[in-house]
Amino acid sequence: MNYVLRRLGFYLLAAWASLTLNFVIPRLAPGDPASAMFARFEGRIQPEAMEALRAAFGFTNAPLHLQYLTYMRHLFSGDLGMSYAYYPSRVSDVIGTGLVWTLGLAGCAVIFSFALGSLLGVLAAWNRGGWMDSALAPALALLGAFPYFWLAMLALYLFGFGLGWFPLRHAYSHDLEPALSFAFAADVAKHAVLPAASIVVATLGGWMLSMRNTMVATLGTDTLRLAHAKGLPPRQVMLRYAARNALLPNVTGFGMALGFVLSGSLLTEIVFSYPGTGYLLILAVRNQDYPLMQGLFLVITLAVLAANFAVDLVCLWLDPRTRAHA
Amino acid sequence: MRRALWLLPVLWMSCTSEPRPRPPGVLFVSVEQQSAWVRNFNPLFAGAGSRWPTRAGIHECMEVFTPSTGQWVPWLATGHAWSEDRKTLRFTLREGVRWSDGRPFTAEDVAYTFTLLKKHPALDAGGVWRFVSEVRAEGPHTVAFHFSRIYIPGFAELAHQPLVPRHVWEKVADPVTFTNPEPVATGPFTEVRVFRNQVYELGRNPHYWQPGKPAVDALRFLAFPTNDQANLALVEGEVDWAGNFVPAVDRTFVSKDPQHHARWFPLFGSTVFLYPNTTLPPLDDVRVRKALSMAIDRERLVDIAMYGYTRPADSTALNDSYTGWRDAEAAKGAWVRHDLAAANQLLDEAGLKRGPDGMRLLADGQRMEFQIEVVGGWSDWVRAGQVLVRDLRKAGIHANLKTYEFGAWNARLQKGEFQLSIAWSLDGPTPYTFYKWLVSKNTVRPVGEVAAANWHRFGDAEADALLTRFETEASPEAQKELMAAVQRRFSETAPAIPLFPNPSWGEANSRRFTGFPSAANPYARLSPHAEPDSLLVLTTLAPREP
Repeated sequence: MNYVLRRLGFYLLAAWASLTLNFVIPRLAPGDPASAMFARFEGRIQPEAMEALRAAFGFTNAPLHLQYLTYMRHLFSGDLGMSYAYYPSRVSDVIGTGLVWTLGLAGCAVIFSFALGSLLGVLAAWNRGGWMDSALAPALALLGAFPYFWLAMLALYLFGFGLGWFPLRHAYSHDLEPALSFAFAADVAKHAVLPAASIVVATLGGWMLSMRNTMVATLGTDTLRLAHAKGLPPRQVMLRYAARNALLPNVTGFGMALGFVLSGSLLTEIVFSYPGTGYLLILAVRNQDYPLMQGLFLVITLAVLAANFAVDLVCLWLDPRTRAHA
Repeated sequence: MRRALWLLPVLWMSCTSEPRPRPPGVLFVSVEQQSAWVRNFNPLFAGAGSRWPTRAGIHECMEVFTPSTGQWVPWLATGHAWSEDRKTLRFTLREGVRWSDGRPFTAEDVAYTFTLLKKHPALDAGGVWRFVSEVRAEGPHTVAFHFSRIYIPGFAELAHQPLVPRHVWEKVADPVTFTNPEPVATGPFTEVRVFRNQVYELGRNPHYWQPGKPAVDALRFLAFPTNDQANLALVEGEVDWAGNFVPAVDRTFVSKDPQHHARWFPLFGSTVFLYPNTTLPPLDDVRVRKALSMAIDRERLVDIAMYGYTRPADSTALNDSYTGWRDAEAAKGAWVRHDLAAANQLLDEAGLKRGPDGMRLLADGQRMEFQIEVVGGWSDWVRAGQVLVRDLRKAGIHANLKTYEFGAWNARLQKGEFQLSIAWSLDGPTPYTFYKWLVSKNTVRPVGEVAAANWHRFGDAEADALLTRFETEASPEAQKELMAAVQRRFSETAPAIPLFPNPSWGEANSRRFTGFPSAANPYARLSPHAEPDSLLVLTTLAPREP
């Protein structure tokens, strides 16, 4: 329990540090959001109206430490402010338009890729030198080495445009009303296939290789020799003894990957016009939309920390040694 | 593994269904590039990211200027009249117009809208209250604007102001942050039928004042985050009306179905300039600016940077929507024509001698070197910059292209902290706005202070006097004469180097709808970006008979 509390304290500290960086970094960028805002009008606004506009957007020249206090106070009251780019919509509403889709698509893809990749890694190591080990692993690693953007475009072109098997864009058909029905679910699934598959293909090789390598090392240990000697069924030895021990590095990596789901699916969303948060992020940066940027960073930060905390707990369960130290 | 395989054929089967037919009468429009729609129909705050038809489609204005014909079209007002002393402007409002909730539209609504602008300066994007002193409803169908000074160009700002219903907006706590989710308006499309993050649909206004219009049942907007996705949908016939830049449009789009696919790229967009910072020597010397201009091969520039979609700018720098204003003599200026010998001669005269390597030196013997700034990723302007660098080098001028991220580029431009920069210019119904921001002393801000335009920081007293007289001149002939004089002054002083007018991008697919404007029928601009022209298009389009 003590260990869990210590970890929790660490994560709170990390959260504070990243929120502070979140405040500082956008303000180090050149230019100011007000002038970027004016430029977006391309002359539709007379300079006389500019001061009023600044006031409307809440641009202030207040000293940094006061801005920082305001920022923290708003954060704790759950007020993320108004987006400049989508003014006068609230940042929470803007993020809300995309969060569920990004979480659904990239979250599922990452979980699936992790599970499948790890399983393939286990099998490849167990049947060392077999076709999985000698052909599949390098092939997947090669696919993963292609630039993701190119891979996704290729998938879109071949299976969407060329063969017409999958829709070209969006998370569901535009003439369907979102509903808890089988038809809608099938439609969402159909739209998710290409973007999800492209993420899986791009990342599968990494999971498989790291799992395979740790597994190979684990297979040579005394524990495994003992398990064999006890006469346990090979399947049980492979999964309960070898895989469980070899899983630790992958689980740690999985925590990181889960956390970056929100920002990492940026390219997927651009290629497949998927209405997620990744594209919002690039838009926020382009428009120097501090409130939206900070709102997104906040969500991403918290997701990374939460995922890592969860991973810590899983490691605790997987690896008795962490418990012994606690 | 073995068990997972049976999934694949199932997936394939479920994915090969036919595309659903699109509902007849629903016009698919692609204007804004967004990854997800945010519900915002506030027509008053120009700073708001309001959805496209809000300012001309949901809400309407009193009169509509169409650059393609050079005409003002009466809209919610049937006409207007200036008082004898030109300090009062009266609009006569159309009778029988109703808001989409059935209540009558009156002069009170117009006066109230302008009162809102006064109370909330952030809404006054046109700066109306700089020259208006009072707005009064003189009857149910007459509204009078009393001016604090004679200012004829102000007519455009008043006539184009989107109007809102008093009985709704009275109850709005803060009109600046109000998102107007269920708009009550006079426009052809006011009913929000569908609003989701990837799609929204606007239905007809049941009380629209033009009988039988709009003939289109609804407008539907799909979210396309990038140009590529929008263009793909256009080529595939999923979009009926678009305003995108399409590379090689005739080959990739028009030729797919020449009978129905059309594009019209008239040169009604703002002129693109190479802005020299005139506060820096030697760019403060008109000879140097003209020499830079003459070193440029604009024919090649428009071919390479703009796919030949535009033409080289002339010495008035006016785009084609001002054709009626263009002064033939001012347009003859030789300083926008490619002439290397003349450019070299001007540079010699300006005392910029060639160094041992053939490149020119400043008066103090230092190497002359310029940085041309563009936004990284704006590929047309980046290509233009590359052409400029090569052309200038031929005249012995060292220039380097430097790309910046938009925010940084923009901050440098607005603060006047650059040497040469490629950027747009400002337009209005007359060339007044355009030239005011190119040559007027009144628009010059000190270096370091943010300026909305006149980034090159150039002011000319003579041109200013002409522009000031233009502000008080109501007779079209006299206006034209004054503007001709301004053009000649512009050509003489060469405050900025015009490159080419921007096309106004517009594509139409007439397979399901008819009535799109075209070069043969230019009743409005085809570009949906062109507000408020789009009102004319929205009320003219009709579904094709099956």
